[in-house]
Amino acid sequence: MSLFKARDWWSTILGEKEEFDQGCLCVADVDNSGSGQDKIIVGSYMGYLRIFNPHPVKPGDEVQPEDLLLEVQLREPILQVEVGKFVSGTEGLHLAVLHCRKLCVYSVSGTLGNVEHGNQYQIKLMYEHNLQRTACNMTYGPFGGVKGRDLICIQSMDGMLMLFEQESYAFGRFLPGFLLPGPLTYSSRTDSFITVSSCQQVESYKYQVLAFATDADERQETEQQKLSSGKRVAVDWVLNIGEQALDICVVSFNQAVSSVFVLGERNFFCLKDNGQIRFMKKLDYSPSCFIPYCSVKEGTINTLVGNHSKMLNVYQDVTLKWATQLPHIPVSVKVANLQDLKGVIVTLSDNGHLQCSYLGTDPSLFQAPKVDSREINYEEFDAEMKKLQKIIKEATKTQDILPKSEKHRDLIVTAEVSPSLDAESQAIDSEVKAEAVPSVTVKITIQSRVTAQKPNLAVCVQAPLAVTCDQFVFDDLEPDSSETVVLSVFLKGNCSPSELEGNCMVSYNIPTGIPKVAQCNFRLPLRLICFPAQPSKAANHKLTIDTNKPPISFLTIFPDFVDPSEDDQANVLGFQFLTGSKTTLLASKTSQRYRIQSDQLEDLWLITKELTLRLEEHFKKQNCKDFACTFSGSIPLQEYFELIDRHFELRLNAEKFQELLSERAVQFRAIERRLLTRFKDKTPAPLQHLDTLLEGTFREVIALADAAEENQANMFQAFTKLKSATHLMIMLISLWQKLSTDQVAILEATFLPLAEDTPELGWEETVDAAISYLLRTCLSKSSKEQALTLSSQLCMPKDTSRLKKNITLFCDRLAKGGRLSLSTDSAAQQATVMPGGCATIPESDLEERTVIPGSTATFPSHGQIAKQKSKP
Amino acid sequence: PLGRQRAGRLWGPSRSRCGGPAGAMGLELELEPLFQAWSYFRRRKFRQCADICSQLLKRPPGEQAAWSLKTRALTEMVYVDEIDMDQEGIAEMMLDENAIAQVARPGTSLKLPGTSQGGGPSPAVRPVTQSGRPITGFVRPSTQSGRPSTMEQAIKTPRTALTARPITSASGGYVRLGTASMLTNPDGPFINLSRLNLAKYAQKPKLAKALFEYIFHHENDVKNALDLAALATEHAQFKDWWWKVQIGKCYYRLGLYREAEKQFKSALKQQDMVDTILYLAKVYLRLDQPVTALNLFKQGLERFPGEVTLICGIARIYEEMNNISTAAEYYKDVLKQDNTHVEAIACIGSNHFYSDQPEIALRFYRRLLQMGVYNCQLFNNLGLCCFYAQQYDMTLSSFERALFLAENEEETADVWYNLGHVAVGIGDLNLAYQCFKLTLVNNNDYAEAYNNLAVLEMRKGHIEQARALLQTASSLAPHMYEPHFNFAILSEKVGDLQRSYTAAQKSEEAFPGHVDTQQLIKQLKQHFAML
Repeated sequence: MSLFKARDWWSTILGEKEEFDQGCLCVADVDNSGSGQDKIIVGSYMGYLRIFNPHPVKPGDEVQPEDLLLEVQLREPILQVEVGKFVSGTEGLHLAVLHCRKLCVYSVSGTLGNVEHGNQYQIKLMYEHNLQRTACNMTYGPFGGVKGRDLICIQSMDGMLMLFEQESYAFGRFLPGFLLPGPLTYSSRTDSFITVSSCQQVESYKYQVLAFATDADERQETEQQKLSSGKRVAVDWVLNIGEQALDICVVSFNQAVSSVFVLGERNFFCLKDNGQIRFMKKLDYSPSCFIPYCSVKEGTINTLVGNHSKMLNVYQDVTLKWATQLPHIPVSVKVANLQDLKGVIVTLSDNGHLQCSYLGTDPSLFQAPKVDSREINYEEFDAEMKKLQKIIKEATKTQDILPKSEKHRDLIVTAEVSPSLDAESQAIDSEVKAEAVPSVTVKITIQSRVTAQKPNLAVCVQAPLAVTCDQFVFDDLEPDSSETVVLSVFLKGNCSPSELEGNCMVSYNIPTGIPKVAQCNFRLPLRLICFPAQPSKAANHKLTIDTNKPPISFLTIFPDFVDPSEDDQANVLGFQFLTGSKTTLLASKTSQRYRIQSDQLEDLWLITKELTLRLEEHFKKQNCKDFACTFSGSIPLQEYFELIDRHFELRLNAEKFQELLSERAVQFRAIERRLLTRFKDKTPAPLQHLDTLLEGTFREVIALADAAEENQANMFQAFTKLKSATHLMIMLISLWQKLSTDQVAILEATFLPLAEDTPELGWEETVDAAISYLLRTCLSKSSKEQALTLSSQLCMPKDTSRLKKNITLFCDRLAKGGRLSLSTDSAAQQATVMPGGCATIPESDLEERTVIPGSTATFPSHGQIAKQKSKP
Repeated sequence: PLGRQRAGRLWGPSRSRCGGPAGAMGLELELEPLFQAWSYFRRRKFRQCADICSQLLKRPPGEQAAWSLKTRALTEMVYVDEIDMDQEGIAEMMLDENAIAQVARPGTSLKLPGTSQGGGPSPAVRPVTQSGRPITGFVRPSTQSGRPSTMEQAIKTPRTALTARPITSASGGYVRLGTASMLTNPDGPFINLSRLNLAKYAQKPKLAKALFEYIFHHENDVKNALDLAALATEHAQFKDWWWKVQIGKCYYRLGLYREAEKQFKSALKQQDMVDTILYLAKVYLRLDQPVTALNLFKQGLERFPGEVTLICGIARIYEEMNNISTAAEYYKDVLKQDNTHVEAIACIGSNHFYSDQPEIALRFYRRLLQMGVYNCQLFNNLGLCCFYAQQYDMTLSSFERALFLAENEEETADVWYNLGHVAVGIGDLNLAYQCFKLTLVNNNDYAEAYNNLAVLEMRKGHIEQARALLQTASSLAPHMYEPHFNFAILSEKVGDLQRSYTAAQKSEEAFPGHVDTQQLIKQLKQHFAML
């Protein structure tokens, strides 16, 4: 990240798809022109050698043809180019080119033409060495302190240093502990070679030591001799830097002490001559190349570091002095004097972008992409805004955003339950212990008139019923297309369900992105959960339903349960549930009555419901409109209370289990912690049976969890039974008092809250609160009772006596002529707060159920707006 | 969230060796394959490097050099600096046997949000995080610290997708880091750890270091890595500091902080290294000894003067300890050394913003923009600064850009929330209402937006809605005092003194120095006394 970018002075792209790396760039006055002007020498892995002498008329000019002094194809990859005094007898600069298996030294010379573009340059091979081993990189210098000439040292891929005294080969030495080559350099002050080995150490080898060690050419011997001491190449000093290095550089400027710079993969080191760290800097980027170039301030050294995020940083020791952006990732960076311009930064990228640049305050203007914004027509926008505001206002006022248009449904979902049970049962994993668990097929069809995106069908039946597949995802529906799926419903849990209703729901998006929902209900056949059986005379619970029409033969209304050949079934019918219990249905021959009897209260419900439904249907068919059922007997409250108690007891158990579990868990963690300290101790102390204790606690936790799970399953069953019984109660009360549908709705909302039965918020307290509310409002006897003393938070009661008392009182009041209503005069005030038709459907324990007299007083805003938040 | 990962992933598409135009020109320039791989590695083209090495390794005999190079290439592909990695799971927090005192003295622990000593801005001005620390200007891995007091509470505290803490660190981000080894490889994993004879490799220092990094970073197998490191350090006669640091890293990952501390200290004795100091400081922070860590950093600075990472470490600790002004001083020191340091600029900027100097903050943020930081958060902050510096012309266009740049719904929610603030500021309550609604559409865990909506509802006289919104806000963010306070005011107005009092007390707990709350409580107490 930088404010500025490097200013382009001169740049060119070399070749096509050529590859370059660190050694490929060299800057020197290679043709010995004596003008002190550097030339740029670039070699490529494709074997091209190019020499440039850039002289743009003004910065950023196009490349002139005469800038390229020379271009030759050397027919072998060029690994490295260096310029030095490589030819004996002369102090002129020569060019050394390192190939994979060859070292060539050329002299570069030019003959001046009449005009500038007439200048001719050529290279002449002075000498070459064929190498026995594959070369990797090289360094040069006055090894051994020779004056006026440079010797060359080549490092091979397998770790041999090959030294050449100009035209002749001097000797080769293997580096000890070598694996992969590292950067190599020569320090003339200490007369030693410095490299970074695979052991992540900076190692320095004295030239002297190398020269006197055993010749590596007799490798066989060396291998053995390496083991014996004395002849081995001994290292001068070692510094463990803990990372691999990219490059290494030795510098000595006038103002600063001589130092060794090492560019690691993550840090940048400056070492003293003896291998101690002078300073280091942790880099928070991946560097690619570097060069220490001069010393501006006494005692400090300036360094250029290029990195893989296309930046070039200038450091003075460790302080960042300048950061500039480059157009490419540099693999090599040099500083050159070109055309009377000192200190030009020359960078080369690995695909051959060669650039000469200088620093400057040329801002790297970051061009933020334009946000797509239209010409604003304020009037139009104002109008649109007003329209939208209106819509929003409308929507928030009615609370009901979707307009209801039943007739023009865009998508219709229908469910069709097949009249007969599946020939082959589709039930899977049923826990019912019956011989055969039947299933019934439901066919669901989705018809769409518009494009429906991402339609998703969910089918839901109340547990313990289950479906074979409850989620379907379709592809987008085209207009006027339809989809059909088939699934089976069966009884899964080992108890009778409280309802035989199912529900399917399709959610989809219309193309404008508005999510919509369509749903439908379906009713499952009674045969799914019970089958005909021998009627039994005796039973604990009996119910009698009166009607105002003569009794109908069961042959007509229960054709699926009655075997037509048996006549005596016309007025008595036995039902056997899959779960085992039995219910018997009797029709009186003389009076207009039906009797339902069973050993369990909850089993009566489904049969009673089925009976009334079928009767109503039957009379509807016969166009008989005044059919009505009534119930005159006393409500079986006592039996109902038993079911409530059973459920409540299981809830108490669940709470107890939870307490025990958390207690054990605390104990378990305490033991764990102790064990942990024991194990971590340096001097192992005896465990003192802590492990046994841990094991024991673990078993206890598991056993408790199992018990809690079992209790949960029991509770679920108990709740299902309770729900069945509650349905029955509602039905009986409504038949008994001949309640209107509105009143039945209130009753249902009171006794069957939509909320799930959870440990925190259970059925008992919810229903209790709802009944209390009704007792205080529409069923209240005096205005005194209307005083509101409801507790603000629902919590689990200690026992069910209050609930029972309230239910009894509730029935009492109804019997005395109380009317269920949410908008009676006496309750007008409170009712304003209640949303919609359902009186009390608490959704969570957070929602407080207190009723506050509607206050319309203006409320001065004293509140505080939370502060703005910003996180870059 | 300017991540500080360094792992550059270069997925070169070409799998063949570079032929280039040479073939077309009829010239067969063949580079030595190992050299080519080595050169690719230097240029961080790890994929190509690994491919060439694989080919080399197919030829018998398997070469050690190619093997080592491939190991290094695979490691570099997934390398993330271990110093920047930090994650503390619930289990680590609760089973922490390193705690020295249950109740630490003020100013010596990071666990206590603490009272601000450096005169930092109060929570009335600067929002705080769940643990009660002021929000920092830069998102770092460890900024969500702060510890719940019991396991039960830890599990039950509201955890949104943004603040969720893993149960143990073994299940958190470290797992994701190590998934490189799970990528299916047709030839099976490169190195089969179970068949590796660690003792053999430990004796070859040239191979062992690369192998260790491979096991640690690529395979994420801390136990094997530790075994190798233990053998290697023994082989090196405990003279190689690098191995000690690696053992320390393994111990740290395994949660053995005291052991890690010993290793790091011993390594520092042999060789001063910036990384070692940073690791050791990380251990101290985990042990909740910020003062020791500070001293360590300061000693480190004597050895490596001007080291940015060390100064930055000091600044972070001061910031965590609520000593904002000192932190800002150190961030300024960071900028003196490295004026492109994004974290420092961002932190100073946000500090200025929250200390009511939006104009100065604006300059810092503009600087970031010029440097090429181009994201939603920056424009968000620019918009806010412009608004509070009364440069209204830029405000909306900044927010427009922020919305345009938002990468996820959380960011969009932030922008809408701030737009809501601007709307409140210019008095357009309708717009404000809709902005806050949009915030909730994008992120329905946004407690601040709930609170502000409630305030707007209160103004309209919709007491029930306001109450419900405030309750939602306070359950989502129990650490904020505003919902509690607003609830107290609301209840007081409708005459429910009892509830007002409880809410006021909660508010005081969240922000003890809030004058309005104190006044309210006093007033309520008088009421009660009269009754």
